[in-house]
Amino acid sequence: MASGRDVRDMLGLPAAAGGGDAPKAVGAAPNQKRPKPAAGSRKIRTSGTSYVFPWELVKRSRLTLIRPEGVAREVAALYGERPPPVAVYEEKKAYRAKRQSTGPAKKWIQQPFTNPVRADGLVLKHWRRKPTMAPPVQETEDASMQEGDTTDTYIESCADFAKYDIKVYMPTFTDEEYAAYLRSDDWSREETDYLLEVVRDYSYRWAVIWDRYDYAPRQHAPETANSEDQALASMPFAPSKNRSVEDLKARFYDISAKLMKQRIPEVQMDADQYSTYEMLTKFDPVMERNRKMLATALINRTMDEVKEEEFLLTELQRINMAANRLDAEREELRSRLDAPPQNQSVSAGLQAFTSSQALQALFQQLFQQDRSKKRASGGNTGPGRLSLSANDMVHTPGSAQQQLSAANRRQSMAQQPTAQTPVKQLSPHQEHRFNVSTHDRLTSGVTFGSDKLLKMRQAKSNVQTQKIGNMLATLGVSEVISIPTSKVGEVFETLVTKISRLLDVRKVREKEEGECKVLLAMKERRSGGGGGGGNAGDETRPKQEIPDSQETPDADAPGEEEEEDEDDVNKNYGDDAEGEVDENDNPDEPGDDAEGEEDEGGFNGEEMDDDGDVDAEGEDESSKQQSRATSQGVGTGQGHKRSASVFSQGSAQSSKRVRK
Amino acid sequence: MNIPNPSTAPAAGEYAGDEVSAIVLDPGYSTIRAGFAGEDVPKSVCPSFYGQSDSGEYHFGENAIHAPVGGLDIKNYWGADGIVEDWDTAAKLWEYAITTRLTGARPGDPSRNGLNDGNANGENMDVEMEGLENNEKPLDDSPLLVTEPGWNSAKAREKYIEIAMEDWGTPAFFLQKTGVLAAFASGKASGIIIDVGASHTSVTPVLDGMVLRKGVQNSPLAGNFVSDQIRTSFKQSTPEIPLTPHYLIKAKFPVDAGAPSQATYREFKTPPTDSFRLNEEERILTEFKESVVEVWPGPGRFNNGTNEELAKNTPGRPYEMPDGWNQVFGPERFRVAEGLFDASAALPSDTAPAPKPEQTIPRLVQAAIQQVDADQRPMLLSNIVVTGGSTLLYKFSERLNYEINAIYPSTRNKLIAPGSVVERKYAAWIGGSILASLGSFHQLWISKKEYEEHGAGIVEKRCR
Repeated sequence: MASGRDVRDMLGLPAAAGGGDAPKAVGAAPNQKRPKPAAGSRKIRTSGTSYVFPWELVKRSRLTLIRPEGVAREVAALYGERPPPVAVYEEKKAYRAKRQSTGPAKKWIQQPFTNPVRADGLVLKHWRRKPTMAPPVQETEDASMQEGDTTDTYIESCADFAKYDIKVYMPTFTDEEYAAYLRSDDWSREETDYLLEVVRDYSYRWAVIWDRYDYAPRQHAPETANSEDQALASMPFAPSKNRSVEDLKARFYDISAKLMKQRIPEVQMDADQYSTYEMLTKFDPVMERNRKMLATALINRTMDEVKEEEFLLTELQRINMAANRLDAEREELRSRLDAPPQNQSVSAGLQAFTSSQALQALFQQLFQQDRSKKRASGGNTGPGRLSLSANDMVHTPGSAQQQLSAANRRQSMAQQPTAQTPVKQLSPHQEHRFNVSTHDRLTSGVTFGSDKLLKMRQAKSNVQTQKIGNMLATLGVSEVISIPTSKVGEVFETLVTKISRLLDVRKVREKEEGECKVLLAMKERRSGGGGGGGNAGDETRPKQEIPDSQETPDADAPGEEEEEDEDDVNKNYGDDAEGEVDENDNPDEPGDDAEGEEDEGGFNGEEMDDDGDVDAEGEDESSKQQSRATSQGVGTGQGHKRSASVFSQGSAQSSKRVRK
Repeated sequence: MNIPNPSTAPAAGEYAGDEVSAIVLDPGYSTIRAGFAGEDVPKSVCPSFYGQSDSGEYHFGENAIHAPVGGLDIKNYWGADGIVEDWDTAAKLWEYAITTRLTGARPGDPSRNGLNDGNANGENMDVEMEGLENNEKPLDDSPLLVTEPGWNSAKAREKYIEIAMEDWGTPAFFLQKTGVLAAFASGKASGIIIDVGASHTSVTPVLDGMVLRKGVQNSPLAGNFVSDQIRTSFKQSTPEIPLTPHYLIKAKFPVDAGAPSQATYREFKTPPTDSFRLNEEERILTEFKESVVEVWPGPGRFNNGTNEELAKNTPGRPYEMPDGWNQVFGPERFRVAEGLFDASAALPSDTAPAPKPEQTIPRLVQAAIQQVDADQRPMLLSNIVVTGGSTLLYKFSERLNYEINAIYPSTRNKLIAPGSVVERKYAAWIGGSILASLGSFHQLWISKKEYEEHGAGIVEKRCR
């Protein structure tokens, strides 16, 4: 301990260091003796070594100041307890490798050099480090150079940039080959040579070639021999033509292709060669020219056209996005419904919109969305943007479009795809099994099958309704049908229609009968004999009635009128006084009034029987037959019991009949 | 990593540079630019105007031509068509531009320079006779790259190489069009270059470093045209705006805006010539262009009615003449430059013919594009390089952008207008500096040997 304190004293450290540290400090102290005094600590900090003296640690922790690097101690002390969040201090200077001062400065000389690519051996000078191989020799050489021109200066051959000397490949041909294959009506030999030369000069840059192409037979190649010049002038196509790029290309490619074929027969060409050959032979100057015209037209569009295209492009993007979204939604829906996998052809987003109609619909829908969006944003669209009007659309013929647009107005996104999704074809058996039904038109909202059945029971008048009800009751059809499936509904409907038809027929018959009876009674009264009247009536009735009853379904006009009348009357009697006005409509028809009091019970009985028969026989029985049966039945069995108001006595019979 | 410093050689392959201390000469109507290839600005810029005294003595350089000496005619060697007219003077002036700042005067003939007077003997004389021819050529160890306008004639091109080879003795020579070089300066090998200089505006389509000759357009609607418009505008204003050059003013006193100037004028024993005064006035107009003139930036033409009203509401710019006369210039500062874009808006001048609509810059661009293959047009339009001192007119590139977009709305048009004044003014020179310092350019030089073999016609063959 004492020694430790001594050491500390020696080092000028505060004695407050923890006792436990002392031995360590003692151990460390002898080693650190040298760096410690004077600049020791600073050196550690600046050099950034990770070693920290233990006592120094203690000191720091006591001060609770971790001094930021690069800040002088005095400055750091001024910071106090809370140092500034961002310490501004100079970037530490990086050590730079020392300039190697190995000897005197390197000398540079202007080294003459030649470029091996140049044929003329042009000597240029560039700066190079003076070679240091043989200093004494160089010295003298240098001296001599400074004095003036030297006889044997080293000339460097600098091939660094020789690689940039690129020669393009050119097809070559001999005179024989030209004569054999390359002749052209349009191109002279001289012009062809000129073309090849220009192509070589401008390295296949066709735009430049065309720009510089200036073939003038006179002016061309003044070095050529006189005779050639004259030959040229004598040629029929001597006046130079205004060649287009396509002409030049066509000629050149033609030559290239023909020569290629000569050099390598087509069969021996490898894939690359053949593709080149194909490309060369397939060049079509006319098509190329047309393409360029289109390109020019594209560039020369007006601002409006450009804006329109821009607009259409954004629209297309929107459509794409909408299609993707729709796809996703549909996918989700499908997975939810666990539907069988879709047709492959429509599953891919945009491909669904292959038909113009579908696109039309989509367009309409987007248009609607756009409008609603605009309305929402208060019409704050950019000034450059064109508003889309319905006129912009391509019109497709009539009804389909209207129907679609009507559907779209509902704004339901889901409806679109359902129109798209093809219905899976089910066999009739399956259809029956899954109870699939098709409808022309669906009414909105939810309806119950039982409601439907109930509705069918309702006729125009209460009396009629009651009649139908009675009839159904006698048939044994219960008020509430427990499982009102659509099929049951159908059957029930046919049943009800039959019932009402029968009721109609009976009504007509009753009327006729009543008239007959009145007439018979009048006849009896006139003839004075009251006895055999009834029988006579019985005799005649069937004859009369058969044609009548046959007529009713065919020629409806009289029957219907009567039915109407009868209904009105029935209402009056059965319900309330409201019908009195109606009654006044037909005051001059005594038969009507009479009919009003007829007893319905008996008829019900009769017809119910008939209906029972009809049901048993099948549903395709014609109404004619029915009516005949009815009339016959009535005519034979109960004709005498029927009467107008005067002879109303049928109730007893009818009840009998029911019982039977 | 070693930090590049002047003493380290650049890494091989870092750039394809291999300098051969070539000299680049870019003569223009207003100034001649010359400097060493590989540098970023021309070291020597001297005016193309020169003075010729009555005795026929030439006066070159900035100092000489602005000194109010009597009997000094100020001339320019350029012709009205933008092609060098006075070749003798041009050669002298170019040599002056190169030798004063770049190579230094050649050591004179030892027999006449006075140094060898003491020990003149037979031996020395022999040496002199041998070296005589070489020593008299100013450029015998520097390859020379010269720029030419895009519409230069074949004859003029041959003249360039004759001067360089025969008068100056360059070991290698090359001639390149300003358009191509301006494109290189912007780092483009292809593009359409709009160069609005002092005497001419040119539009040059360039494809892969080659000018498409059919597309080259030029018109006289350039800086000098604007100066002329300003003169006309000064004359038309009421009261007429006086234009008094600096050299006439001895002292000036402050006056209110628009008030007549109060200045005392200098007296000359032999008054300077009219051409001198004109040149001095031109300096004022240049200053006026730099500080006042503005191009209507669009949208729409300046004189479409509403824009003029708009311009009236913008604050004016004050300008003070050398004699103290001063005024705030309102919308008329737009009008003087409008003729560059809209021929109908040009003020009718009595010295220059009225500009034709097809001479305006937008029409030139359109005509140039029209002459180019349809496939290249979009590419060219996306590289529109703007260069030339007159394009520094305030808002020039905005207007140009508007005009070009109005003509070609469907393509992606991109204007490349370097912001730095030096790059804009000396683009062709900078491009030449880049080109001549490339290692791959070594094989393109026309050497003296080739010239001797093929004659001056080689320039047509090699400098395409």
